[in-house]
Amino acid sequence: MTVFNNRVSCVAAACAFFTTSAFAENPTLTNPAISAVLDGYYQNTERPMAERGEGFGLGHTEIAMSANIDDMFYGKLTAVIEMHDGETELGLEEAFIQTLAMPWGFSIRAGRFLSDVGYLNNQHVHTDAFSDRPAAYRAFLGSHYFDDGVRVNYVAPTDLYWTMGLESFKGDSMRAAGGEHDDHEADSDHAERDYKNIGVYTAYTKIGGDIGNGSWQAGLSYMRNENGRMVEGEHEEHAALAAGDEGHDHSHSATFTGENTYIADFVYKWAPNGNYKYQHLTVSGEYFKVTDFAPLQDDHDSTASVDDMQGWYLSSVYQFSPNWSAGVRYGETDVQELHGDHFDAQKLKETEVSLAWHHSHFSTVRLQYTNQKGTNYFGIEDDNVLTLQYVMTLGAHGAHQF
Amino acid sequence: MASAELNIFACEPEYAALAKELAPNARIYSATTAMQDPHQVQARPSLIAKMRQADIAVCAGADLEIGWLPMLQMKSSNAKVRSTDQGLFYAAEQVETLDQLKSVDRSMGDVHAKGNPHLHFSPERMLKVAQALTVKLTAVDPASKAEYESALADFSQRWTAAIPVWEKKAAPLHGKKVIAYHSSFKYLFNWVGIEQVADLEPKPGLPPSSSHLASLLTRTEAGDVMAIIVASYQDERGANWLGERANLPVQVLPMSVGGNDQSQDLFSLYDSVLDLLLSVKAS
Repeated sequence: MTVFNNRVSCVAAACAFFTTSAFAENPTLTNPAISAVLDGYYQNTERPMAERGEGFGLGHTEIAMSANIDDMFYGKLTAVIEMHDGETELGLEEAFIQTLAMPWGFSIRAGRFLSDVGYLNNQHVHTDAFSDRPAAYRAFLGSHYFDDGVRVNYVAPTDLYWTMGLESFKGDSMRAAGGEHDDHEADSDHAERDYKNIGVYTAYTKIGGDIGNGSWQAGLSYMRNENGRMVEGEHEEHAALAAGDEGHDHSHSATFTGENTYIADFVYKWAPNGNYKYQHLTVSGEYFKVTDFAPLQDDHDSTASVDDMQGWYLSSVYQFSPNWSAGVRYGETDVQELHGDHFDAQKLKETEVSLAWHHSHFSTVRLQYTNQKGTNYFGIEDDNVLTLQYVMTLGAHGAHQF
Repeated sequence: MASAELNIFACEPEYAALAKELAPNARIYSATTAMQDPHQVQARPSLIAKMRQADIAVCAGADLEIGWLPMLQMKSSNAKVRSTDQGLFYAAEQVETLDQLKSVDRSMGDVHAKGNPHLHFSPERMLKVAQALTVKLTAVDPASKAEYESALADFSQRWTAAIPVWEKKAAPLHGKKVIAYHSSFKYLFNWVGIEQVADLEPKPGLPPSSSHLASLLTRTEAGDVMAIIVASYQDERGANWLGERANLPVQVLPMSVGGNDQSQDLFSLYDSVLDLLLSVKAS
């Protein structure tokens, strides 16, 4: 993932653009939309499975370029630069093309992109109202699930918004541990685990509309993960990861996987007179259920009757003036840790409040407090997390999703 | 396609009103109201659903809708309104805009390099936009050509007849000075000869700050300011604060059709705005 030379030339190329182009214009032949996100923070301790560590750090520092390629294709490239333990890593979060002119409401997206399952997943993290994704996202989707694959999407020609789509992905980051990922036991039996090349299939549908001055959207998603089932013996690595011995999970891999994941999501937004400039409210929530993760075994039944893993959150954010917004979020995540021949149920509860100051809609400074209650499995050293963070964007106006 | 089946998606109510003049039988939907700031609109599900069905999208352009229109286009998967070669229409591309900038930097605030997009208070420009929109309607729906041309002739005749009446009515406003919020009424002031001597926003897109309002209060001491003008979708608090201390009237003007009871179409919108400005002058 570290491609130092590419990183330098990419940054240099972007800088050259920044000094010569006018940002607010539509992307044209010589002027693709180029933007950068700067994210830095200080945090007193860590949230389990989260990307931010203790102390000073940089969050999602990204550079994105996008433009219409021609009248049929749109393309976007998002490079994410992360620092971990003194190492600089360049990751590609998005590198996709999308059709622009298919008939009947169809579109195809191919390459690397964010899956459209759930509500938050296809949103860029710098638009979030909290410094980390809810625990359910961190546990089941590696904070945000992006991958190499293809999507077919359809929008129905109805006054009620109705869209549905199918996706297929490589699924490497959604693999249950074992095989080549398991360095400690590379020579043990399950190291030879035979993963499927196309690991993940998803199907989703969303509907939405307006009620008075408010707008809503609700969605249902299903994710099939061919490589999501644990194999016997892998629990040791899982436990080590969660306890923090392995440091952070830089690879954005999901910590807990299963063969079947079901997600229900909703979001409601409201503004006085529907005018979002001064005040607006966002209420959102999602529910995850992950099943069929226990190893398939004939000899002992103890893992057969284990409860499904699940997680949910409810979040409410109010912008009470163009300069200030505040949010509250509560979530619970129940996971199952394989321990020898049985599963131990583990629970994490997060209660969070955040206060953000926006000098303009391109600059945000956020203070967030999280009270986390979890079992020891999650390796929590302090129940109280304080994060002071800035998120700023420069370059082209990104049009935001609902 | 008969004009009765044509779906028109208007980004702002002034263009929904213009479309209604030029294609009275079409299904017309306005993405925003006069109470909503078109700079900041959510690319919400209902708008995606409407754009999915649109044959024509009529917008101000000059990057006014850059924060949401590209997302609607991407999400609605409707090739008909992707490009101005087909059903997409930008009013600002049909006329010369005011305040075009050679270079733009974010430290200048939320400015548009392509000029001020709030051009619907320029009657001459709106006439040109009407002519260009009729060409677009005819290109998308050639079967109804005669219908569109007669609607344009009717509109042009009434509009050109109204312009001198409005100008005569607005004559007493010539040379008056105001403080206003943003450059929302730039074209109106330019047309009737009002001078905007200061802006409630310290920088375009930034809300009025107390230090900036204090500097405006000093500016009003010259005694030449007639009123403080705010658009129907703008916050009145800064204007009221200044109005009370400077003893100046604060007047909310409808930003578009539907911005007050009187503004039911483009003609009554112009009437209402001029009536309100004249009533402030009289007070």
